[in-house]
Amino acid sequence: MPTLVIDNREVTVPEGMNVLDAAKAIDIVVPHFCYHEALGAIGSCRLCAMQFLEGPVQGVKMACMVPAQDGMVVSTSAAEAVELREHVIEWLMTNHPHDCPVCDEGGECLLQDMTIAGGHYLRRYRGKKATYTNQYLGPFIEQEMNRCITCYRCSRTYRDYCGGRDFGVFGSRNRVFFGRYKDGQLESPFSGNLVDICPTGVFTDKPFRFKSRIWDLQEAPSICPQCSLGCSTIPGGRFRELQRIRSGINQTTNGFFICDRGRFGYGHVNHPERPRDPRVDGLPVTMEEAITAARNRVDALAAKYGGASIAFLGSPRASLEGNLLLQAWAGRVGSSQSVFDAHQGRDHAARSLAANLASLARSLSDVRQSDLIILIGADPLAEGPSLALAIRQAVRQGSEVIVIDPRPVALPCAHQHIPLPPQLLHMVLKALESGQYDELNDAQTQPAVKTLRSKIAQAKLPVLIGGADMLGGLGVKLLCDAAKRFISAECNIGVMVMLSGPNSFGGAFLNIGGPDFDALIDAFQEGRVRGLVCLESDPFREAQFPAKAQAALGHLELLISIDCTPTLAAKRADIFMPSRATAEMAGSFINNEGRLQAFHQAIEPGMPLSALGPGKHPPRLFQSTTPGATPQPAWQILGQLLDRPADLNQLRRTLAAENPKLKALTHVDTTAARICAEPNGIAAALTHEMFSADSSAGNVPLLITSAFVGSHWLSHLSSPLKALREEPTVWLHPSLAATLGLKHGERAILSTTLGRCHVRVQTSNDMAQELALTYQLLDSALEGMSPGTIINCRLTGEEGQ
Amino acid sequence: MSELLPQNQLDEFKAKANCADHPQELIVDLLRAIQTECGWVPDHGIDLVADVLGVLPVEVEEVATFYDKIYRYPVGKRVIHVCDSVCCWANGSEDVLDHLQKTLGINLGQTSADGLFTLLPTCCLGACGEAPAMMIGLTTYGPLTPERIDQVLAEIREEAGG
Amino acid sequence: MNDYPQVLFKNRLPGETVTLRSYEKTGGYQGLRKALKMSPNEICELVKDSGLRGRGGAGFPTGIKWSFFPSKAPGEKYLVCNGDEMEPGTYKDRQLLRADPHQLIEGMVIASYALQATAGYIFLRYAYEECAQNVERAIAEAKAAGYLGENILGSGFALSLHVHRSAGRYILGEETALLNGLEGKRPNPRAKPPFPAQRGLFGKPTNVNNVETLANVSHIINHGPVWFQELALTIEGSGTKLFGLSGHLNRTTCFELPLGIPLREVVETYGGGIRQGRAFKACLPGGASTPYLTAEHLDLPMDFNPLEEVGSRIGTAGVTVFDETTCMVAVTRNLVQFFARESCGFCTPCRDGLPMVSWLLDKIEHGLGNHDDLCLLAKQVQNITGRSFCALAEGAMGPVESLLRLFEQELKDHIQKGQCPFL
Ligand SMILES: Cc1cc2nc3c(=O)[nH]c(=O)nc-3n(C[C@H](O)[C@H](O)[C@H](O)COP(=O)(O)O)c2cc1C
Ligand code: SF4
Ligand code: FES
Repeated sequence: MPTLVIDNREVTVPEGMNVLDAAKAIDIVVPHFCYHEALGAIGSCRLCAMQFLEGPVQGVKMACMVPAQDGMVVSTSAAEAVELREHVIEWLMTNHPHDCPVCDEGGECLLQDMTIAGGHYLRRYRGKKATYTNQYLGPFIEQEMNRCITCYRCSRTYRDYCGGRDFGVFGSRNRVFFGRYKDGQLESPFSGNLVDICPTGVFTDKPFRFKSRIWDLQEAPSICPQCSLGCSTIPGGRFRELQRIRSGINQTTNGFFICDRGRFGYGHVNHPERPRDPRVDGLPVTMEEAITAARNRVDALAAKYGGASIAFLGSPRASLEGNLLLQAWAGRVGSSQSVFDAHQGRDHAARSLAANLASLARSLSDVRQSDLIILIGADPLAEGPSLALAIRQAVRQGSEVIVIDPRPVALPCAHQHIPLPPQLLHMVLKALESGQYDELNDAQTQPAVKTLRSKIAQAKLPVLIGGADMLGGLGVKLLCDAAKRFISAECNIGVMVMLSGPNSFGGAFLNIGGPDFDALIDAFQEGRVRGLVCLESDPFREAQFPAKAQAALGHLELLISIDCTPTLAAKRADIFMPSRATAEMAGSFINNEGRLQAFHQAIEPGMPLSALGPGKHPPRLFQSTTPGATPQPAWQILGQLLDRPADLNQLRRTLAAENPKLKALTHVDTTAARICAEPNGIAAALTHEMFSADSSAGNVPLLITSAFVGSHWLSHLSSPLKALREEPTVWLHPSLAATLGLKHGERAILSTTLGRCHVRVQTSNDMAQELALTYQLLDSALEGMSPGTIINCRLTGEEGQ
Repeated sequence: MSELLPQNQLDEFKAKANCADHPQELIVDLLRAIQTECGWVPDHGIDLVADVLGVLPVEVEEVATFYDKIYRYPVGKRVIHVCDSVCCWANGSEDVLDHLQKTLGINLGQTSADGLFTLLPTCCLGACGEAPAMMIGLTTYGPLTPERIDQVLAEIREEAGG
Repeated sequence: MNDYPQVLFKNRLPGETVTLRSYEKTGGYQGLRKALKMSPNEICELVKDSGLRGRGGAGFPTGIKWSFFPSKAPGEKYLVCNGDEMEPGTYKDRQLLRADPHQLIEGMVIASYALQATAGYIFLRYAYEECAQNVERAIAEAKAAGYLGENILGSGFALSLHVHRSAGRYILGEETALLNGLEGKRPNPRAKPPFPAQRGLFGKPTNVNNVETLANVSHIINHGPVWFQELALTIEGSGTKLFGLSGHLNRTTCFELPLGIPLREVVETYGGGIRQGRAFKACLPGGASTPYLTAEHLDLPMDFNPLEEVGSRIGTAGVTVFDETTCMVAVTRNLVQFFARESCGFCTPCRDGLPMVSWLLDKIEHGLGNHDDLCLLAKQVQNITGRSFCALAEGAMGPVESLLRLFEQELKDHIQKGQCPFL
């Protein structure tokens, strides 16, 4: 821990920290561009000059390139250093266009800040400027190369940090070009980070272009609702429209970056079909009327058939507060029928995780530091994209990555893939735990698992990673059990499991030993349950076996929906109450590592001005209310219904008082502590129904899984992401394709009991041999296929028809 | 791909890449070989290099666009590089350039109508003792006079015509 | 016509390249035989004692550089010969490789043995195809004769040499950019530390030396350090130096002359005086990055220290002479244009600072400058020198700094007259 003096102030910093960061640690910020905490120092911009007065290094030096050492005496305000910084800024500005008035970066331009901070105010250079031709980079990123100051941040982010393979640095001298080899859509699922990382307006958010001035945006720290990792985000909106999302900074979770699903997946908030008005029996009412009707009808049903005749379905995307109040409502009518994920397998996985994780929990930051990462039944890009980024950082530091999965799992880094059929995953986990390999009679799997065991035992910070879809409740328990086996003084092993939504863990936490949705389905059918309240959930689509669920749901006498998206439940509900999206409210989620994180309200809801169409602004029809502004946070709707405090903090305090395990709710923030449930009886109830296909008579088992884009409800509603959506595809191992007489790239017909559809055939050597694989794609013929299941299918070439 | 590189050369490079610890080190060699064959390096030349060496096309392009003697745009059959660094400049390289531009009817960076010559500036050729100098292909000529230039151009025209 | 002892050029014949046989006849590969009987450490000591300083421009003492090399570290280690030679005014390595390439091969084998390097690379610039072929031929000859390859001369020492042909750009002469170039990466310079001796080519310990530096090694082994020191005319200097003459001289060829030879003798005797009987105005003593010398410096000994004392450097000893009719502002503008164009584009002072300097000089040369521009120019020099990532931009400031120091009046004349006074 070296101690040095900067501007007459003593500071002690960790070994290896550079002097620029050491100064930052005592709030002395010296202008800089190329240095970035996540990207490291390269010393190219020459802006962070400081004068080293005493100690092992002397003279004017670039502070980012000098590790802090004992005895250093440094001045940031010495004339020579200040003068150099002035010059560097002046040079950087020589080629920069004077297009600030029309530049999309205006207002959050680091170059502008540094120009002022560096003391450059008068243009002296009157020579020619370099100009460039811009490239088309796809629907997310706009390029304006003339604004480039050549800090190399973009290529270091895109290529080095995110592992993108289609972006580079071309040319030389004062004509360096950053972009793709040829025009075309950026391929990395993390391309949007270019927007945040570029200090000027070269790479800007294309869907956001010309929508707002930055200073007119309403922003607040929030949590991404697109997966269970809980990345920090900063949504920004204006004119009642959520216009963009940028990455928040949280060293424990996402660090500085987010994925493109998180960044561009906000379209559900502005969706034209978003239901914004309360309804009772198809007629518009006020929120108060809807709330009263909901309370009365539920009470009436309870009076008639008993409290148990009403079920309550929360969701992984509803806030913890909302889910808690839903459970409280159930309690008030005397129903114990509350469930928090309509998808059986995912629900079990989450509960199993909440029950077993305890001190095995690992954060993304832990993953970044891990020296051995084993993924079993996990596909990060689909199930938790930022995890893929964290894994890449570990690999860059020398970590090894082994993937055991039937799917052709893609990662932005080197890894070893063992493509086992899904049935074997549990056996592998058992063998990992027990050291008994008998069940693994496969000649290749046995030695592979043996090696795995010895690798784990030798690693210092290994992490076992799983996914809810492939492992289910039982698998998650096996994963935790296996990990526990290796805990030792040397081996600090941990677990991370990707769940289905931002608050899956929270729901599981509330319902650790309660009923599950399959039990409810039976109850619907048998008439034991006659009413269902859906909180931001859509059992018609989300159930693991949607066809079965839809039939059962038809028996209901009362369907109530609270939601902010156009779900089937919302459309069919007898009573509908519009709720707010994450960006429009405050609340909290518990992410997949059990971390309770709060999010704040960025914008007010309302029909976006842009959606009112041309000529309608200013509105011709004068009215005192804002169109579409009725939605309220779900917790507020439920709070009114249950006569709870309207103030969030007060509500949190009462909730915490009722449930001592939720004490953390009283001081929740965007970077809060972890919450863990106590294991209780759940393990016994775990079933695993995913693998029930019979492979007789020409049937092929079809494994259904999810894609980066298209399988997830919220992002599915986002128009910019449509460009990334795959066409319906079936993946086959070449050997199976040959048996079926199908070729890579051909079109085929996929028939299942859920129907027939046309798909493109893709082959991969990197997957299990005896099965076909497809992604659930919402609003396509594959919509009814729910991830985490295997069904029978038949595949025939289109020509054969 | 055969028009980019004769099969035997291609095989040779593939063999070298196969046994090299760092196939990337062959990028410049391979780019130069393609250029020798085609006169310049077209896009599919970049793809070929990436393919043979097992690297990304961007990695090849990043290198190719750095060097001034790798041509990523079509050029004439012969590229004339006129040295404009200090020794040649002090000995009249500007006159050499004027003469060439007039004779060929083109400006710097352009290709003559017959497709034979492209005129480009270059930094010092290491022919400072023979200033002013120019390089055509891999041959350096100097000291240049208008007469000497005409003679060299004529020789090359003849060679190309015959 | 050259009365001084010839070491590197002793076999040189116009238009010819020395073959292995004739190289051996004049003592070729005797140094290697001798060296292989010594310990690697003894060789380093010998080279250190000889006082040999790098001939690539920076003049770092070669023996000291070698003694920092982790020759005992296990695994691959590399010796790289820097034959980029793209600094305007410099063409000595070309003459050497044209005339007598075996000297380089022999020097590299000895150096590799001293450093315990496992492979060697010879990096040659694009324009030197003829040299590349000479070197390749020499490598083949040496291999056939057992001077290269496995078990060299029965010593058990093995070495392979590879020729790399570049594709242009001056920056590749900078040793770390060169290493990136060899690896097939973008040839930007690398940060130091780690130095190439710690992490060089492909991350392995690597030593980079200039062609001429390495060519001297066998002679030092053969004749001893004292002989080498005495070759120079100055007390503290040692060895001969290849002087490539250019500019407004009657004779612009490359001579091997002792270090310490007075500039006047170089210009008048070897350069044959200024063309058309004109007067000497100034010269770049060692390539485009070295500050000017003027007539008042004509009696200076051309060696490292004396030139540093007057604020210049011997650099590569490529002497470019300008006569009295030359506008030094225009010369400097040309030089800065070169550096700006050859910048790799990595760091700001070079990438964007040099074009600014170039623009200023252009403005002044065209008579559009004012006195503020002179201050601006001086400030540019101050803030670029020592502030760039590698030495390219610093080198570019050498001539500009000396222009301000030695030709202030000429600059002012441009401003006062509103045009170049030499028009
Ligand atoms: C911009 C730049 C260009 C250089 N060009 C050359 C060159 O062409 N040849 C060379 O030998 N050294 C060149 N050098 C010096 C090398 O970096 C290195 O110091 C030298 O090769 C070491 O060899 P030596 O110690 O034998 O001189 C250059 C340095 C810089 C900063
Ligand atoms: S000074 Fe900077 S830009 Fe110039 S060549 Fe060196 S690293 Fe590149
Ligand atoms: S931040 Fe230090 S040189 Fe760029």
